[in-house]
Formats: sequence, C-alpha cells, structure tokens
Amino acid sequence: MRVTVDVKGEETHEIDLETVSAGSPNGGAGTGGSTPTYQELLAEIDLSPHEVSVLVDGRPVPEDQPVESDHVTVLRLIKGGSKPPIDRNR
Amino acid sequence: MSDLRLDATQLDRYSRHVIMDEIGPEGQQRLLESSVLVVGAGGLGSPAIQYLAAAGIGRLGIVDDDVVERSNLQRQIVHGDDDVGRPKVESAADYVGALNPDIDVEPHETRLTADNVATLVDDYDVVLDASDNFGTRYLLNDHCVLTGTPLSHGAIYRFEGQVTTFTNERGTESDTDSPCYRCLFPEAPEPGTVPDCATTGVLGVLPGTVGCIQATEVVKYVLGKGELLEGRLLMYDAMDMTFETVDVLSNPSCPVCGDEPAIESVEDVSYEGSCEISAD
Repeated sequence: MRVTVDVKGEETHEIDLETVSAGSPNGGAGTGGSTPTYQELLAEIDLSPHEVSVLVDGRPVPEDQPVESDHVTVLRLIKGGSKPPIDRNR
Repeated sequence: MSDLRLDATQLDRYSRHVIMDEIGPEGQQRLLESSVLVVGAGGLGSPAIQYLAAAGIGRLGIVDDDVVERSNLQRQIVHGDDDVGRPKVESAADYVGALNPDIDVEPHETRLTADNVATLVDDYDVVLDASDNFGTRYLLNDHCVLTGTPLSHGAIYRFEGQVTTFTNERGTESDTDSPCYRCLFPEAPEPGTVPDCATTGVLGVLPGTVGCIQATEVVKYVLGKGELLEGRLLMYDAMDMTFETVDVLSNPSCPVCGDEPAIESVEDVSYEGSCEISAD
C-alpha cells in the first residue's frame, strides 16, 4: 500500500509501505514483522512520535498501531509561549 | 440605544461594537459582565490582554510569576523599557488600567500549580492559555476539561503558530465530538526534545498575530457569535504567509476526556516532565 503522509506546515511524503521495516525495536508494539506501525512510518521521515500527532480522518491514532490508512495527517507539537524555559528547581 | 446600562462614556468608547448588529449594546454589556483569565503575560498574553481589555472584558485576571526582562520587549508589547525588573502581572495590570478604566484587572503573581489551579481558574468564565511550558499547558487542559471551562490554546515556534479553542461542553447539545489538547498529544515530550523560543528564537510579531486570534476567539465565545476554532487547529506560517485549518476529532483513548479516562483529578498527574499519570 502506498501511504500519503501529510506533515502540516512541511512536506507531503509518499511512502510505499512495503519498503518500511516493520517490527523494529523502536516501532512500538509492532505486528511481528507484517504491517508497519505509524511509529515506523514516522521514522521513515525522521519524525519521533514524541513531537507529533498522527491523525486519520481527523481522529488521533495510537502510534503503536499498524498502518491501516493510505492517507495520514501529521501535526507537529510546538512549545511556545515565548518566555525562557522555567527553572523547575526554583 | 435601547440598553441604558451602558453610560454615555461607554457608548462612546464601544461605539464601533455597539453599532454592529452582531454585537450591539446587549453584546457589549455581555462583554462587560464577563470574566477571562489570561495565563501568561508574555508574547501571547500581551496582545490578548490588550485587546480583551480594549474590548471591555469586565474582569480580567492575569497569572504570571515572572519579571520583565529586556529581551522580552521585542514581542511582549504590554511591557515597556521602564518595566524591566518589575513583575509582569504588575506591568500588565498598569497597562490595562491606563487603557480602560472599565476593567477590573486582577493580577496573580504566582505560578499555576495543581494546588492553586481551582482557586485561580474557577472564578472566571473563560481561560486563555498564553503559557510557555508544557506543565502549565497540560494542567490547564486537564482542569478545564474536568470542570467544563472553555479554553483558548495558542503556541508559537520561530515563524509558526497554532491556535484552537476547546469549549469543553461535553455531554451538551453543542458537543460536537470536540477534542482536548491531550486528544492530540496525550503526554508532553521529555524535556529538551522539543525546542523552545529561548533557544531557537521567535519572530517578534508572531505572538502578536497568534495572541490576537486567541483574543478574537474569546470575544466570539463570550458573545456567542461566529464559528469558533472548535475541532479545528489553525496553523499559521508567517514566512509563507499562509493559514491552514486541520479538522481534529476527539480521541476515544484520551486519558482525560476519552471513553475511559484515567485522569479524574489534576492530583492524578505529575505536571513535571512528560505530564503523565502518576504511578501511585
């Protein structure tokens, strides 16, 4: 299956799912080497699940689930405000 | 004018509101009787505070535990050069007082915590999140979900901004499968994994745009007019000068507003680090 990964604010990627290595150590729950997870799909475009949210038809999906859609939307988490980081020890 | 509760000075001050069918004297009266808590008097909070005060939001709370630094002045336009070293809430309150004597401004010079969030938030109609850290953002989200308090969210990074509105009216007729912040991002990233403006920089005018959009959403919410950014994330790219909205639905697995929420109180969460549910 060919998956369109639309990273909002950045590029749109076309990824052939057969080329994504499934069941990798960083791929979350994985599926035992069959269907790659969303986390593994993200790894193909050098994104970490800690910094993005994956949506399918507008609804967030767990990154450790196998890819079941041919179109996913990726939203990046951004931090600001605009002050310096808080000193958690004060 | 049919509503005599607005005095002559107010009819003059708010005449550009009053003259519009969508607002009128009744809408202006509603603004004057409303209360909004702005959390953060920095880049996002400054324009939000200015426009909410100018619009006549009758009671305006401001939470911040920081002092003004010279490096803030490139974007935090509620503060001036003479305010360097002063608490931000004092500087912001002075600004509001000079701008509009109709406003009861309530400065809260403190850091929002799980211990004080109810005391600070529950006395206001709407919360505008202009904070700069994940701990405060997740704390506000969780508390506002649990109490059904409407929340405006904004975030900025370099040349980009994100804005959305969470009305938190679940279980009501206006419930539209609305998400919360944790639906999108169930836990905060580990500290240091997502860059912040202090290390990457930020275009000075960017928080002005984003904070003004947040203020717009709050004013619309109070008036009960227009289409809010509920279930939509607005993404602004100042470099390309593009706006895009992305539809976002609720996440059934969300730990705070999902089908089987694990968070029933802010006491269940450690708002340091990744803001995950406490093990104990």
